[in-house]
Amino acid sequence: MNAPEPAAAALAAYGKRATYCYQCVAGPDLLTVKVVDGVATEVEPNFAACGVHPGGGKVCVKAYGLVQKTYNPNRVLTPMRRTNPNKGRNEDPGFVPISWAEALDTIAAKLRSVREAGLLDASGYPKVAANFGGGGTPQSYMGTFPAFLAAWGPVDMGFGSGQGVKCTHSEHLYGEFWHRAFPVCPDTPMCNYVISCGANSEASGGVVGVWRHANARERGMKRVQIEPHLSITGACSAEWVPIKPKTDPAFLYALIHVMLHESARERLDLPFLKQHTNSPYLVGANGFFLRDAATKKPLLWDLNCNAAVTYDTPDCDPALEGAFACDAVEIGPDEAVLAQGRLEGSPSFAKLVEHVRPYSPEWAAEICDVPAATMRRIANEYLDHAQVGATIEIEGKTLPYRPVSVSLGKTVNNGWGGFECVWARTLLAVLVGALEVPGGTLGTTVRLNRPLSERHESVKPGPDGFMHYPMNPTDREHWSARPNIRNAYRTMVPLAANGPWSQALGPTHFSWMFQKETPKGLPTVTLPEVWFVYRTNPAISFWDTKGVSATMARFPFVVAMAYTRDETNHMADILLPDATDLESLQLIRIGGSKYIEQFWEHEGYALRQPVVAAQGEARDFPDIATELARRTGLLEQYNAAINRGAGGVRLKGASWYFSLDPKVAHGRDEIWDAVCKAASAELSDGKEVHDLAWWKENGLATKPFPHADWYLFPTLAAQGLRFEVPYQERLYRIGKELGNRLHEHDMQWWNEQLAEYQTLPKWKDFPGLWEKSLLKMGGTTKDFPFWLLTSRSMQYSWGNNVGIQMIREVADNISGHRGVIINTGTAEKLGIAEGDPVEIATPLNNVSARAVVRQGIRPDTLLLIGQFSHWATPFAKDFGVPSMNSLVPMSMELTDATGSGADVVRVSLKRSGVGK
Amino acid sequence: MTRWAMVADLRRCVGCQTCTASCKQANATPPEVQWRRVLDMEVGEYPAVKRVFVPVGCMHCDEPPCMHVCPSTATKKRPDGIVTIDYELCIGCSYCAIACPYQARYKTDRASFAYGKATVQETQAFNPKRLAVATKCTFCVDRIDAGLAKGLTPGIDPEATPACVNSCISQTLSFGDLEDPHSNVSQLLAENQTFRMHEELGTGPGFYYIWDKKQGDASA
Repeated sequence: MNAPEPAAAALAAYGKRATYCYQCVAGPDLLTVKVVDGVATEVEPNFAACGVHPGGGKVCVKAYGLVQKTYNPNRVLTPMRRTNPNKGRNEDPGFVPISWAEALDTIAAKLRSVREAGLLDASGYPKVAANFGGGGTPQSYMGTFPAFLAAWGPVDMGFGSGQGVKCTHSEHLYGEFWHRAFPVCPDTPMCNYVISCGANSEASGGVVGVWRHANARERGMKRVQIEPHLSITGACSAEWVPIKPKTDPAFLYALIHVMLHESARERLDLPFLKQHTNSPYLVGANGFFLRDAATKKPLLWDLNCNAAVTYDTPDCDPALEGAFACDAVEIGPDEAVLAQGRLEGSPSFAKLVEHVRPYSPEWAAEICDVPAATMRRIANEYLDHAQVGATIEIEGKTLPYRPVSVSLGKTVNNGWGGFECVWARTLLAVLVGALEVPGGTLGTTVRLNRPLSERHESVKPGPDGFMHYPMNPTDREHWSARPNIRNAYRTMVPLAANGPWSQALGPTHFSWMFQKETPKGLPTVTLPEVWFVYRTNPAISFWDTKGVSATMARFPFVVAMAYTRDETNHMADILLPDATDLESLQLIRIGGSKYIEQFWEHEGYALRQPVVAAQGEARDFPDIATELARRTGLLEQYNAAINRGAGGVRLKGASWYFSLDPKVAHGRDEIWDAVCKAASAELSDGKEVHDLAWWKENGLATKPFPHADWYLFPTLAAQGLRFEVPYQERLYRIGKELGNRLHEHDMQWWNEQLAEYQTLPKWKDFPGLWEKSLLKMGGTTKDFPFWLLTSRSMQYSWGNNVGIQMIREVADNISGHRGVIINTGTAEKLGIAEGDPVEIATPLNNVSARAVVRQGIRPDTLLLIGQFSHWATPFAKDFGVPSMNSLVPMSMELTDATGSGADVVRVSLKRSGVGK
Repeated sequence: MTRWAMVADLRRCVGCQTCTASCKQANATPPEVQWRRVLDMEVGEYPAVKRVFVPVGCMHCDEPPCMHVCPSTATKKRPDGIVTIDYELCIGCSYCAIACPYQARYKTDRASFAYGKATVQETQAFNPKRLAVATKCTFCVDRIDAGLAKGLTPGIDPEATPACVNSCISQTLSFGDLEDPHSNVSQLLAENQTFRMHEELGTGPGFYYIWDKKQGDASA
């Protein structure tokens, strides 16, 4: 098999075809495309899906760009080979068209030579690396390529292009630890009061987020938006609180202070705190739980019998406050017995109360530049709306009802301060019993715990009455001193776990950063010998884009699936034109509970299908993957991976068998026909089997997903498990153990990060960390007085659509897409008028922009929406709009303990002569 | 009688421009011609500032200023309230564009395409009759008429409903018959406080903006 499927002949010249758009992580959106005389003309919502899709079956603006995306004359439409051996921004790659046969032969020959010499290099890192952009969305387009990678063996997927360090990273790791919440979301359909610290749900929540929040606003839900600039979401909120950047932990701590020191205890959900959290666990003098000497179970103080009992003692009434002496043992890191005998301890709740005592609204007001009265009012509004004690019946189950939530946005919940914000957010829910219950704060899927995407099944008993969590080990025997990939997530970040998503959840900038110099204790970080790139452009989307570009220019062999030329594939050796959204075929899972607002009352599958013939010589991914597998001698392993489910569904089930013959190269339609049959069998417990033709006609199929499954609390309660909040004994322990391991290997460069492992996180001068970084770059806060931030562009984000003219045209209607947003008063002081050319600079770099003068931004803050600054992508390279990524350095001191950073940098601003 | 009208609920709009994009696609308008678009406006001064998103386009007025100034009678108003332009009659004088207080009219003298040269899709959709004449939102009149002919209800049945309304992801836009007291738009106007843009000019816009529920509404 060497030619793509003859799709064109089979396609109807007229009509509407059902398909999906998954260009961003808030998808998929289900749509139809009208075809006239064989040409795609119009995208519409798939109105047949409005009954199952929680956003009324509507379609995001990005999907309307798909028609133009298909016919974009700037597409790469033949395989191309680089003729200039020199790589770099200023080097013309000299791409020349080649045949598919030559392209595949070249790649396969390279792969075979790598394989023959061994899959790992001298440092132990995979010689093959791959980047697929963030959020897992490329997997909904790359068909069976995951099966090829599975057949290949070790692949380094930890080179960051945004994922890991520019995502909502703290939320992902801690959220999943505390409540199986890789993404966190208010129960928007039932919530009445939301405190949103920078969460830009109207721009990043997708169709469902927009739909649900509009409904919520109309029914009276109040949302208070706390952020330095007035975002799209701020515009749609009842109130905007312009907070100083990176001070959100202080704001949230002040709310907790009000609830714990200025409000009656009875306003809290005391039964929830006692029975479903670690609030009553006794804490000893060394900060660890007091434990029963025989069973090693944590102790609490039972007010019924005035004695210490183990946490799992039935019918006890645990104390939340006070100090108690009891026979116990206190065990520290590495099983060290720190104290034993008659020990005194206090419930962790009491520790919490003392911990937040200094964090009054008056204290926070100085830090956040938010009036104390505002914080006090918001805390009380939150309590007023919490309805502690209320219940609601859902699908016959009586559940707590707490219609209050706190949501956090990017830059708030990643990088330094992210841990504190996520902890405070989770605590605010816990204090009123609003975690994982109707109306409250929910996780929507799991990516680090197994089984993937199955939140409830991932809940298993772990130590001390909490859920199990698959930490990367920190004990001496099992700690991984030799990382499996270059970003060293297994070695440095216990919370990143070690599943399929973990590589992307590590400190993904390390893979770039350590190319210059590997810190002591890690094997020398090397260049990958082969790098696959698809639907990602790290030369634009990562930090220090100049440095990243220079590094990837050193990669010896780069294969880029190319839609158009861009800044990353500028360094490629081979370009492969893949069939785009309206030209290709794939079945994916939809519904259930997944990214942020995407929790549905249905689940099932949807098909993306060719609406029109692929342009030029573009090929669908399975045709590429199958050929690579065949030419590298991996066909059997590849087919076996597809049979195991690498195409999205296991082909063999309890009563069905659609597995492919592993020895044969199968065509695209043959593969998806088997997947379609297996999916329909799975959906119907084997009762119905629908082939590819049926799915092409119908587009999707679903079955009900229980509303009650949106909430994890009942699953924990049924297993007698508690939320591991507020006290972080386990994190403190693993942090100490990790420190021991690193220091045993004389690795001292992670010490600042180790301090983040705390039982109750303290406020630190988080903005000061960026100011210190500025000093290190050679600047002063006086000379670089502005905080430069970024914000989500719904029209562009994730979409790989920056070269689409219509998207640019409509996005430009939204303020900020043409330049840098500056506060009106600030602009006046600096003599800057709307549209003026300005220069934004750090001590190391500068960019030019046009001034966009607005009232809705703090005077000390600048905003650059999206990620532009293209210099190779056709059409986009003429925008003249910069990106903050050019200005943000990668640095160890701005990396937090989870391996993340944040999109923040101190800059100067002045009017310039650009564009005269 | 029928009076077609649009209602935009300003509490719901997020300025996403999905309506803008769907309109451009459904009506094959050239670059920078936006029969439907959403304004991104600020009111007040920092920190007491509000940002609001306002969908705009042709208001299909009861007394269209564009029609009254049209020397060629190209612009007309149908009995159902839809203001139309007959491209065969239009002489491209642009009086109408000047007269329209809503900046809803466009005139493109030369063919223009997204990437310079027309793509296959643009070639297919290109309508030379739209060159050098006034164009604007038609309320997707072709869909309405075709839908009505099939017994469908505009504003309810997608096939008979303007593209912008079909696409709206926040349910900001509603379309229907003002003369029908039971229609979706009539219900919305009955339950909510609304205004029309530049109402003081006496144009009688067929485009209403909701900004809050009516006070004392039992459902509030």
